[in-house]
Amino acid sequence: MTLALDIAMGIVVLGAVLAAARAVRRGRLADRAVAFDTITSALTCGFLVAAALTQEDRFVDLALVLGLLSFLSSVTIARYMESRRR
Amino acid sequence: MRAVLDVVSVVSIVAGATLVLLGAIGVLRFRDPLVAMHAATKPATLGVVLTGLGTALQFTGASSITKVVLVVLVQLATVPVGSHMLGRAMSRSRDDD
Repeated sequence: MTLALDIAMGIVVLGAVLAAARAVRRGRLADRAVAFDTITSALTCGFLVAAALTQEDRFVDLALVLGLLSFLSSVTIARYMESRRR
Repeated sequence: MRAVLDVVSVVSIVAGATLVLLGAIGVLRFRDPLVAMHAATKPATLGVVLTGLGTALQFTGASSITKVVLVVLVQLATVPVGSHMLGRAMSRSRDDD
């Protein structure tokens, strides 16, 4: 049971690293915004897996805060991209 | 009963993690940012929902389960809105970028 959860954690972290690779390889702001969205989704997933792994519900609080912050940051990036156009 | 719930929970957590990995592979491979966003949002959201289901099955207390449900609801509400705003900004600034 714990082994399967460890494997799930490894899969999620691999996903976050792959998304970060896009942010490094393609340098435009839009690419980085998309990659950042994916990284935060993967990390939210990772916090949930950590909560299931350790039976601690404080990781769930972290996942909640991370989800709200990721929404705030992607809205901020979108507003910046629109304001830069003018 | 507990063992059945554990198996269902672990299977759904692993499925959610695999979906997140598939979305990340799509983000890495697709060239156009709008297409990459299509790969980024849908599998990742479903992955978070599945992982949240599995995590909620692991807990017994009502407050922990409520928090997990809250995480899933926040993800379901904010990811489409945020990516819609990003996509609109991208398509409006596409020609000069």
